[in-house]
Amino acid sequence: MKVVVCVKQTPSTTATISVNDNVVTWEDTGSGKPNVVNPWDEYTIEEGIRLKENHGATETIALTFGSADSVDVLRTGLAMGCTSAVHISNEGAEEVDALDTAAVLAAAIEKVEDVKVAMCGKQAIDGDSGVMPMLVARKLGWTPLTFVAAINEITEDSITVERLLENGRQVITAKLPVVMSVVKEINEPRYPSFMGIRKANRATVPTWSLDDLGVSVSAPRVNWQKIYSLPAREGSVEMIDGDSMNDKAKKLVDKLFEEKVI
Amino acid sequence: MSGVGVYIENYEGKMMTVSQEALGAARQTANDLGKSLTAVVIGQNVADVAAAAFDLGADSVIGSDHAALAEYRAEAFGPLLTQLVQEAGLDVLIAGATTQGRDMTAWLAADLNAGLIADATALKVDGDRVVATRPVYAGKLLSDTVIPEGMQIISLRSRAFAPAESTGGSGSAQWVDANVGDISTEVTGFKAKEGGVSLTDAKIIVSGGRGVGGPEGFDPVRALADTLGGALGASRATVDAGWIPYDHQVGQTGKTVSPDLYIACGISGAIQHQAGMRTSKIIVAINKDSEAPIFGLAHYGVVGDLFDVVPAVEAEFKKRLG
Ligand SMILES: Cc1cc2nc3c(=O)[nH]c(=O)nc-3n(C[C@H](O)[C@H](O)[C@H](O)COP(=O)(O)OP(=O)(O)OC[C@H]3O[C@@H](n4cnc5c(N)ncnc54)[C@H](O)[C@@H]3O)c2cc1C
Ligand SMILES: Nc1ncnc2c1ncn2[C@@H]1O[C@H](COP(=O)(O)O)[C@@H](O)[C@H]1O
Repeated sequence: MKVVVCVKQTPSTTATISVNDNVVTWEDTGSGKPNVVNPWDEYTIEEGIRLKENHGATETIALTFGSADSVDVLRTGLAMGCTSAVHISNEGAEEVDALDTAAVLAAAIEKVEDVKVAMCGKQAIDGDSGVMPMLVARKLGWTPLTFVAAINEITEDSITVERLLENGRQVITAKLPVVMSVVKEINEPRYPSFMGIRKANRATVPTWSLDDLGVSVSAPRVNWQKIYSLPAREGSVEMIDGDSMNDKAKKLVDKLFEEKVI
Repeated sequence: MSGVGVYIENYEGKMMTVSQEALGAARQTANDLGKSLTAVVIGQNVADVAAAAFDLGADSVIGSDHAALAEYRAEAFGPLLTQLVQEAGLDVLIAGATTQGRDMTAWLAADLNAGLIADATALKVDGDRVVATRPVYAGKLLSDTVIPEGMQIISLRSRAFAPAESTGGSGSAQWVDANVGDISTEVTGFKAKEGGVSLTDAKIIVSGGRGVGGPEGFDPVRALADTLGGALGASRATVDAGWIPYDHQVGQTGKTVSPDLYIACGISGAIQHQAGMRTSKIIVAINKDSEAPIFGLAHYGVVGDLFDVVPAVEAEFKKRLG
């Protein structure tokens, strides 16, 4: 049984993001790298590796669709413990919408063969859509299991998971193969080991083209007509002062009643 | 034939708040497009939900009411939604951006090879297209997005739209058979969330950060939330420390919320926390460090020990709210 984890490269969470003429750029002015593994995908990688370590999966393969430098995120996956990785090049297809991205990922998952569990993160922190796992599931015709917070049991042909929903936790059993998305609660991602990093840096990561996959992409079904910064918040913070704590509390409460938010 | 559809979610036989908001936004959109509004209701014993949809402004209600639909399962609900949307000739479908709403809008988009916009916070109509504004890059930017051709599928962020108001309307729903055939999933349990208000629906959220110092440190924060009838939030630092369960986490890797009032107690206001709460209407920060970044975002600030400030504020509210 093979497991595939879909990993996306995104701007670092601390990156300063700016937009000019609808073009978004970012840099990390701190110590960090400007691009990182999408934070939600760290949980995916970890869970994929655990399926191999604890539940008899034979391989955990990291997959990304993106530019040449997105191979970085695959190296992180390898350093954490994925057995191999595949980069799908977006050359000539830089503007791909969610549905076509799903078609690309699904075709790659099929090409890997024998995959029983494909995993995505809950959402990517650039587009913030959170729709990929369901789209990939539909492209493959596999059962979708989104927002998984725990895998209770997995056998050769079935899986039981807990899904974290607004009103509670749903326990659901499905036949394999499935496409899952996982939420943060599911695990605590490990740090890559020193040995892992060395191995990952030496590993060869194959690149597949869209031609290799036999997928062609169309014009995006969604246009981002305009991208712009948030309107600046009016005014600055009003600090509440007072002679005593009770006085401060009273003043704050007055303000909140005036704001009509109570 | 064409029309605007709205996907209605129900929980225990009641329409979810987010669906009331979606009805409001969809009604406005339908009016602006000069189209009719159809509510789609799927579940078991959902006649009341259908009636509520008429009352909240739907021109017609279609759906399926069946025992096999008692519990939400994507593979049972998805094909029905596609079938209903096609039969009714809907060319715009609006839903809440909940876990179920994201699932169902994506299901439909894949089936109909259509454009999909998730988590919109504003809608407007331009010609015969809907322009949806949505936060991107963790809420650091906004984007106006549009689906230039064909079916338009859009999910809406909770609390970004005013709920539809009662119109006194009524009608009879058209139900179709649920052809829930061979399904490879089985729901074997549901653990309902214990009490408390759900974070994404809450009008008021009181959150605690590392400043609470430990699991018991949440007591005054929880007490203030209870007094205000609000929900209890938390920073990731406290969740990672095991002081409080993950479903309270607000932020980039937690929940995105936009209450009328957000009170941050002992939270520094890291960029990843801000990503989840910056669209709150009024933000209050209580922190002993006057330099904490949260004050840069807050409308009102109190510098002090949260264990003094929070109980004092709670006592004051108790006095006023009686
Ligand atoms: C990929 C990634 C994703 C992340 N996602 C999230 C997320 O979803 N949500 C999130 O919250 N964080 C997230 N973080 C973590 C974030 O960077 C911060 O580490 C975290 O928000 C800090 O939590 P805090 O404010 O509670 O703690 P701290 O930053 O330690 O702040 C504690 C504050 O409490 C104040 N304080 C202490 N004692 C008292 C007292 N007695 N009275 C009053 N004030 C007091 C201090 O002055 C300080 O400002 C993420 C980080 C990364 C790298
Ligand atoms: N280009 C991509 N390559 C690999 N995985 C992706 C890509 N885009 C999205 N994903 C996966 O889909 C999840 C949800 O993404 P999204 O629907 O774009 O928010 C991410 O957490 C990834 O696991």
